[in-house]
This record gives sequence, structure tokens and C-alpha cells, in this order.
Amino acid sequence: MDNMTRRVFAGAAALAALGVVTGAAAQQPVKIGVIYPLSGNSASAGNYSKMAIEVGADVVNNGNAELAKIMPIAKGGGLSGLGGAKIQLIFADNQGTPAAGQNQALRLISEEKVAAIIGAYQSGITVTASAIAERHGIPFLTAESVAANLTERGFKWFFRTTPVAIDFARAYSTFLREQKAAGQKVGSVALVHENTEYGNSVASVIAEQFAKDGLPVTQKIAYSANSSDVQPQVLQLKEKNPDVAIFISYTSDAILYTKTMKELGWKPAIMIADNAGFNDPAFVKSLGGSVEGLVNRSTFAGGKPGSVPELFNELYKKKTGGDSLDDVSARGLQGFLVMADAINRAGSTDPAKIRDALKATNLPASQMVTGYEGVKFDDKGQNILASTLITQMRGGQYVAIWPKDRATAQIVLPYKGW
Amino acid sequence: MTLVQVIVSGLLLGAVYALFSSGLTLIWGMMNVVNFAHGDFVMLGMYTAVVIWTALGGGPFAAVPAAAIVIATLGVLSYFLLVRHIMRGPMLAQILGTFGLALFLRYAAFWTFGADFKTLPDTLIGGSFTLGGIRFEGSRVLAGVGGLLITLLLHLILTRTSVGSRMLAVSEDATAAQLMGIRPQRMQALAWAMAGAATGIAGALIATFFYTSPTVGETLAILAFVTVSFGGFGSVLGALVAGLIIGVVESLSAYLIGPVYKDVVVYVLFVLVLWFRPQGLMGKA
Amino acid sequence: MKRYLFPGVVLVLAYPLLAAGYPVWERLGALVLLAAIGASAWNIVGGYAGQVSVGHAVFFGFGAYSAVVVYTHLGWPPIAGAPIGMLLSVAVAAVIGVPTLRLSGHYFSMATIAVAELVRVLSSTSEFLGGAQGLTGPAMPRTVFDLSFLSATPFYYIFLAVLAFLLGLTWWIERGRMGFYLRAIKDSERAARSLGVSAGRYKLYAYMLSGAFTSLAGSLYLCMFGFVDPESGFGILISVKMVVMAALGGAGQLFGPLVGALILVPLEELSNSYLGGRGAGLTFVVYGAIIVIIARFLPSGLLSLFERRSAKPAAKSEIASGHAD
Repeated sequence: MDNMTRRVFAGAAALAALGVVTGAAAQQPVKIGVIYPLSGNSASAGNYSKMAIEVGADVVNNGNAELAKIMPIAKGGGLSGLGGAKIQLIFADNQGTPAAGQNQALRLISEEKVAAIIGAYQSGITVTASAIAERHGIPFLTAESVAANLTERGFKWFFRTTPVAIDFARAYSTFLREQKAAGQKVGSVALVHENTEYGNSVASVIAEQFAKDGLPVTQKIAYSANSSDVQPQVLQLKEKNPDVAIFISYTSDAILYTKTMKELGWKPAIMIADNAGFNDPAFVKSLGGSVEGLVNRSTFAGGKPGSVPELFNELYKKKTGGDSLDDVSARGLQGFLVMADAINRAGSTDPAKIRDALKATNLPASQMVTGYEGVKFDDKGQNILASTLITQMRGGQYVAIWPKDRATAQIVLPYKGW
Repeated sequence: MTLVQVIVSGLLLGAVYALFSSGLTLIWGMMNVVNFAHGDFVMLGMYTAVVIWTALGGGPFAAVPAAAIVIATLGVLSYFLLVRHIMRGPMLAQILGTFGLALFLRYAAFWTFGADFKTLPDTLIGGSFTLGGIRFEGSRVLAGVGGLLITLLLHLILTRTSVGSRMLAVSEDATAAQLMGIRPQRMQALAWAMAGAATGIAGALIATFFYTSPTVGETLAILAFVTVSFGGFGSVLGALVAGLIIGVVESLSAYLIGPVYKDVVVYVLFVLVLWFRPQGLMGKA
Repeated sequence: MKRYLFPGVVLVLAYPLLAAGYPVWERLGALVLLAAIGASAWNIVGGYAGQVSVGHAVFFGFGAYSAVVVYTHLGWPPIAGAPIGMLLSVAVAAVIGVPTLRLSGHYFSMATIAVAELVRVLSSTSEFLGGAQGLTGPAMPRTVFDLSFLSATPFYYIFLAVLAFLLGLTWWIERGRMGFYLRAIKDSERAARSLGVSAGRYKLYAYMLSGAFTSLAGSLYLCMFGFVDPESGFGILISVKMVVMAALGGAGQLFGPLVGALILVPLEELSNSYLGGRGAGLTFVVYGAIIVIIARFLPSGLLSLFERRSAKPAAKSEIASGHAD
């Protein structure tokens, strides 16, 4: 064998070896575990979020030309930082119980060997599932759970992208004081909230914030979300007739309140809904026409053509056959994109490197699906740029009306209803 | 005036409670079986109505009978395929079997219809009217009056007709009834059919003002259990009285004390009733 | 039955060795035993005395909350709340039992459901118990007494020891005078009374004992999962699962609840692991169908397979008139 052929051979072998290596890397997908309520009472939300995250994974794996202009991760061909590795989502059902959530977290870590976990929607389940991730040293990101104590546990592997109750309360307070300055009457505020974790915690934070800001909460009505009748509550409201009513409700009760208020013919001058049930696509579809002018909070309110929210919304609509992204599914998708970005920058599936990359996350507002000002975590893992938009129902659709710099429409008061 | 309004709304609600409990009490009285899947029967009745009403374009006059037929069929099938067999075992087997059935039906609906909440378009029997200063909602009046009529009809069938007395004979002593030439299995199947029909109608009527989702039956089932034992097992009239009482008590306590405590008041009242009348308001001692 | 006992015990003791290195399987073993403790505790009053409580979540919740409350308000390790929970549960059992145990058949079941729901609603309004948000146990273990382990194997042996003690106690009761009385009450309370058995008193004893151990199961649950809220403590599903497990294996039999747990817990976990992620609710379709099939063909529970033919009820009337007294 002469020198020439030897060199050719060596080169070919090296090339082949390289091919094998990159081939292997491209074949080895990065597993991300996703824990959601896919059965039980919150299954509706869980299943919409699941679809939103699937859209996100599809964009990372297969690319989207429009989105790639704004966010590098949408170029396609998987995670460039890991030699084009694709993302594989492993979904698990928490069944609405803290026990199942924890059991599934353990399965994702030990059997599926996921690099990171996203979940688990209900705060109580996020508590138990993230405790397992913490002990095993796997990054856990929650995109929806708002309980204040989640980031107070001294965890090192826990991150949260969503705004929490205090952010909502401040937004409402500022918004209402602005309306007051503009001449609206806000002399009395009623808080109507369902009495599980979500409603109770949000209501008490709002009450505290309003007290600080001099907004008088004159009525506080707690009720059980699975009530079959809300007439007595609406009659209580009708009697006191507050200027502002804030509803913190799930879907079933949102439906009941809307129908009952219409039937009993009562409406406040400003009606505010705290997201959740009033943003459920099922609610918007069937009762959107009965709540014209309803003020709502959402982290998602569409966007201008060609923007990240708008492009993702179109992809999502294609997948679901018409349903738009809503607050919950958009927050879920946002959480996933943050995680994908971090893994990409980590350039590895090593949990510690992913955690460090998450800590270094710094995404601008322009890359957000949700209305956040960006994503940047503090020492406790809370996204300090998380914020919320205030929206209003116009002709069967929510449009952003506050804060002014991100509003797509002017506010119209008083509340029109039906 | 508001108080009267609250009581009226409680009565209308109570009539619906009575209606969706009457099927449960019939089965309970007839063969001492508690159907833990009862709430899910109601749920399937609601879905039947929603499908007929919206997807297939039928109106209320098609939806209500359709729900009655579908759930009656389901009742008879459950009787022949499951209940008949588990009655040979201890009372616990009923809980085991019907709980399994409940999960199966709930998630079969989940599989078929998805997890979304569905509501009927409220223009159908929407609207409300005012009578003597009291505001009535169309759909609730329909459901309440429907509930009252169906429950009374069921009561009359059981007490005033020959079929009713044959059913009663079977429930008193099946062996003796058999000697008298009554076929107990046929009577029991008939009871499941009647209970199913009433439950289906209840579901269809509730669907006009309530949301429909796969897990809605869970909420309704506990209420039905309380209503039935409150009224006394086997007594359709008892379920009616109990339903009305519970409806009014719920409404009043939600208005006067606070909605969170309305269940507390109802449960306390229930335990008190059983303390003084262990067989319920109208049950046989 | 007896010849299965020895190999069974060996298998149970050695299970963690077989599952070592597979955390999900290690945990599955612990979950089965935990469920078996709850169901076996229920079995004392529900199986042996025939008083079908569908509200045992009251005791489970008291146990879980006692454990987390001593941590939250006093900073103690949660397990220290277990004896408090047991004592409380005995007292609560007396308070609930006196009015409800007078009720017969389904009325008792319905009353226990109502009481459990009552407690659930009240617990969600209590600030002390963390309201609807629930309470969280120690996030990271401070000392070994916090019972916070990476592997489930320590839990497995703790649960096994508790279960062994509980089954031993049940066996002892079953063979003694109280067991005889309870069986008599179950067969016919009227007959038992006429024989001079103080039925009310013995039912109450069984109820209190059952409540105490159900509470212990709740405390152990809290130690393992570290979180409880009204739904996961007092929810009706907790009560129903205890009943279903015991009934599936064979209520009123020593190993019935354990057998039920051995079938149902793995079924639930595995079906969720393999079907749950699809999000179509398939898990529960399968789970429900299997329960229905077992109830249809073995209404007296799986252990009835082992009973001799002669033990089957002789009266084979076509229709079962369900009118138990």
C-alpha cells in the first residue's frame, strides 16, 4: 500500500467515524418529561397544554421559516447546540392527584431518563412532583402553578416562568386606579371566588393588595366550584350592587355565573374575570356573546401578524382544528420554549448543565408567546420578567387593552354583557 | 322579595334533585342495590341530549325522549350483564361493581367526547320572565316542572298500577312473588329501565342549564345519595320531599350564611334526620 | 390458603432485593403496602363487622393532617404526628360512630359519606389546616426522622412492619371473643343482640380501632408524599378505594385487602404509566372494566377462588332478594 492510498484510507476512516458520531448524536433525542392533568377535573386544560407543547416541539424539530426570523431555536433540525438532536416529549398523566404526580415524576426520571421535567399544572401536584426532581437533581420547570410557596422552599432545581398572584393583583390595582382617574366609579369592589387553592389564594392576595392601594373591597363571596346553582350569590351581588366585581372561577362556575347574571339581569359597571374559567375555549365558544366588554387577565392575547404569538397561534389552530391558544396553553408552550432554549445552550443533556443554562436564561419580550416582558430567573427560580396583560371581550374575542404599550384596542366601559 | 326569589330558585333546583334521585331510589327500594354509577348515568343522559340537540340538530322534543331511551337501555344492559350477578355476592360487591362501572362509563365518555365542558346554546330555552316580582328562568322552570311531573308519575306507577304492585311484591319477597306467577327478573329489569328513563330525562333537563363534562356525574352523585337516604330508601315521594327540602336549604344557607357552608348545612341536617329517623323521612321502618 | 403463606412471606421480605435498581418498582412495592394498610384497617369494621363505611377518608385525612400540622406549626418531624392522629381518630370515631352506627345497611354507608364530605368542606375553610391550598411537609430532609429517602425501600420495610402488626392484631381479634361477636353482628345483628352481645359497643370498638389504623396510614402517606390538601386527605375517592380494595380481595378475610391492593395498585400505576400519557382517559376505561369483570365473576372477592366448593352458599335461588336485615 503506498502512501497515497494509506492517506485516503485513513481519511475515509476518519470521515466514517465522524459520520457515525454525528449520526449517533442526531439519532439520540433529548427527552423532556411533561406532567399534566390528562384525566380528572382539570383534564381539559391539561390536554390543550399538551397540544400546545407538541406544536412547540414540532417547531424546534422541524423548523418554521417565519419564526426562525425572530427566534433562533425555530430554525429547524433539532437542537443545534446538541448536534441537531431532536426533542422527544414524554407525557405523563397526574390524574389530578398529588400522589400520581409524584409517582409519574419518579417514572420519568428513573425509567424514561428524561433530561428535565415540565409540569404539573395544579400547584399541589407541582409540590410533590418537584420534590422528587429536586432529590434526583433534575431540573423542574413549572409554567402554570402559581402558589406563592413553591419558590420559597430553597430548591436548587426548580424554575417558574409564570407570573403569580401578586403580579395579577398589582395589575388589577393599577388598572382600576387608572380607570378611577379617568372618571370611572370604583367605590366598591366585590370579590367572588371559588374556594379551592386557586380561588382562595388569588382572592386573598388581591384583597391585601387592594387594601394597601386604597381600593375598598366591600364584599367577598367564596363558593364551591362544583355548585349546581349560583342564584343566591348573584342575588347577594344584586342587592349590594358593587361598582366592580372580580370573578375568580373555574369553567363550570364561570358558565353558571354568566348564565345566572343574564337571567337575573344584573351586571356591574366593571366586570373583571381572573382568567381560568372565563378564558377556557369552551366558555368563550359558547358564552362569548353574553359577556361583551368583560375585562379579563391573560398572558395571551394574540398579536400583530408576523409576531411570535400570532405565528404560534396559527400553527396551534392548524393542529387543533380551529381552537386558539389561550392563557393556559400559551403559558405551557412558553415554559417548553424556555426549557428547549436552555437545553440548547447547555449543549448537553447533563442535568447540572441544563440547570446552569436555565439560570443564565435571558430571553427578550420579542421572543415571547405570552405577554411576558421576557424570561430571566432570580435566585429562587422565579421569572422576574413575568407579567400579565389585561384584555377585554370584543365580539367574541379577547383583545389586549392594558398595559398601553402592548394594547391592541382601546378600553370600552361600562360592561355591556349581553 | 329577594328571600322569596331565593326560595323559588331553591324549589326549582330541588325538583331537579328529586328527578335525578328518583331512579336511584327506585333501584334501591326494589332490590336494595345502591348504584354508585348513578351520577354517570345522569352524565350520559346529558351527553345524549347535547349530541341530539347540537350535533344532530334535533330539538328538545327529540333530545329528552332520546336520553330516556338511551339511559333506559343502559340500565337494562347493566342489570343483565352486571347487577344481576353481583346481587349474589355480599352488599360490598355492589359498591365494587358499580364503582368500576362508574369509572368505565365516565372515561368512555371522556374518550368519546373529550374533556371539554359543553353547554347547550342558551337561546334554545333561554330567556326569563317576571311573575309577581319574581324572576323565573325558562330552562330552570322547565327542568323543575319536568322534574316534579316525572317524579309524581313514577310515584303513581309504583303505587296505583298493577305493574307497580307486582314490582312491589318482588321487592317485598321475591320467592313468594315467584310463586304467585310474577317473574322477578323481568320486574327488576323493568325497574332498571324505568329508573334509566327517569335518569336520562333528568340528564337532558339538567343539560339545558348546567355544563356537561365527563366528570360532572361525580358532583351530582353525592347529592343524589344524600337526597335518597334523606327521603327514605325506595320512596319516590320521599325523594321528592327530600329534594325540595335540600334545594331550599341549600339556597337559603348559601344566601344567608355563605355558599361555602351550604353543603355543611345540608350534611348536618341529613345526619340529624337520620338520628331521629334512621329510615329517612318516608322510608319503611 | 396456608401453604401459600411461607413462600408468600419470603417473597414479600425479599421483594426490595428483586426490585433494587428499579426505583419505580421499589416504589410500587411500598405503594401496595401503604394501600394494604388502609384497606386492612377498613376491613376491621367494614369486613369483619359488616359495617360498610364509605367515609374512612375522615381518619386518613386526620392522620395526614396531624403529621403535617406538627411539622408546620411545631417544626417536629411529621411522623411524630402519627400517634396524635391515631388518638384524635379514636375520639372522632366515637363522635361519628355513636350516631351513625345505629343506622343499618346502606344508611350507614350514606351517613359516613356525608360526614366525610362535611369534614372535607370544613377543612378547606380552616386557616390552621392551610385551607384549600393544603400543607406541605419538609421540602428537604432535616434529620433522618423526617423519613425523606431517595429510595422507597426504607418506606417499604416501615410499611411492611406496620402491616404485619396490623394483620397480627386482626388475626388475634378474629380468633378471640371480639371476632366471634363481630361475625355474629355481621350475620344478623338482631340475633347477636338476642344472644346478649352488646352489638352497639362492639361495633364502636371495631370502628375506633379501624379509625386509628386508617389514620396511621394517612400519616405514613404524608411522610412519603409530603403534601396534603382537602381533596387528597378527605376526598371521597380515598374512602372508596379502601372499600374497593378490600372487596376485590375479599372483605372480612385477613389477607383480602392485601390481595386487593396487590391487584389494584399495580394495575392503576402501570395502566397510568403506559396509557396515561396519551391523554384519552384510557387508563380508567381499562381500570374500570377490570373491576367490573372481577365483580361480575367473583362478587365475593378474589380469595373466594380458594374457598372449597362446599363453602359456597347452598341456597341457590334464581333471584337474590337483596333484603338483608
